[in-house]
Amino acid sequence: MFKKFEAKESIVGTNQIKNSVQRSIRTKLIDTYPNIEEYINDILPKKVNLKVVKCQDHIELISTDDEILFFKKRDGPFYPTLRLLHMYPNMLPKVQVDKGAIKFVLSGAHIMCPGLTSPGADLPEECLPTDTPVSVHAEGKINALAIGHMKMSSDDIKSINKGVGIDNVHYLNDGLWRIDL
Amino acid sequence: MTSSNFPLKVDYCGVCSLPPEYCEHGPLFDKCKEWMEENLPDEYARLILNKTQEELEAMSLNNSKKKQTRGGKAMKNITKKQEVQKQVVVGRSMRARKKYVTLVRGLKTCDMNLKKCSKAFGQKFACGSSVTGDDEITVQGDVVDDMMDFIVEELGIDDDLVVDGGDIKD
Ligand SMILES: [Zn+2]
Repeated sequence: MFKKFEAKESIVGTNQIKNSVQRSIRTKLIDTYPNIEEYINDILPKKVNLKVVKCQDHIELISTDDEILFFKKRDGPFYPTLRLLHMYPNMLPKVQVDKGAIKFVLSGAHIMCPGLTSPGADLPEECLPTDTPVSVHAEGKINALAIGHMKMSSDDIKSINKGVGIDNVHYLNDGLWRIDL
Repeated sequence: MTSSNFPLKVDYCGVCSLPPEYCEHGPLFDKCKEWMEENLPDEYARLILNKTQEELEAMSLNNSKKKQTRGGKAMKNITKKQEVQKQVVVGRSMRARKKYVTLVRGLKTCDMNLKKCSKAFGQKFACGSSVTGDDEITVQGDVVDDMMDFIVEELGIDDDLVVDGGDIKD
């Protein structure tokens, strides 16, 4: 989503978010990520003015004055930015790619099934359905390196084991990571 | 999860802005390592010192491949041919969003000892300072103005030789 993103060209405009809309975003976030309910006031303090940064390709970034917290594309779900996810790593279900996949993920490639099913990789026991936002970790590393969107369910990834299993929506050092507000 | 556990504080590399465990995949691994040794000694021990020789070689191999694809070699040759001119450039460079580092280049051309200068900078500005290249010192934070004064007043380098390089892209 942010592979070719350049803040200068891609940002269209910035608007304050009205209080009422701010409330509905809050509700939506808790809905999508029940794990963050007890921290929501730390993540989005009630008194802080939120801004929406509109970008090309129908991408919207939700930010405070100095930090981008969430982003979404069209009517898709809100994804946390990696910096926010690093602070609250339990926000999303985790998947793990093997060592060999790291450099591909960091160059923005979508994640292929074999990189998720090899011995160094890990998928949760319970099935993650299609369209679930996930945090992508890597063998031997502590912090997530990407945020993904399940293109296949995790059960299908295990059984079919071919093709793209997870879309890479945001990764370390992509255009969103490097953005300067 | 209990309230006291989150948010976690994650340290990011002052050179490439990634979590240090991913520095090996960035283009500036050597600089990252120096920065890490100085600023995050625990991470340095975990990520670098704990590795076997073989693992380290694999890591830098990973890295040098990337460097070559960026075609940096030709550039280096050109700069070598240029005459050495006495000049100290002080500029800043953006790391993570809104985080700047101050770069001091050219102290060697004025016969300064980089290690000693770096240490003096760290003490003066109470922040991380490290030698990050053949003739470059990186100091955490945007201290360009104070740095220029310091270089003139404390290191005794002629005012005319110290240049404000503005925003340096590296
Ligand atoms: Zn680094």
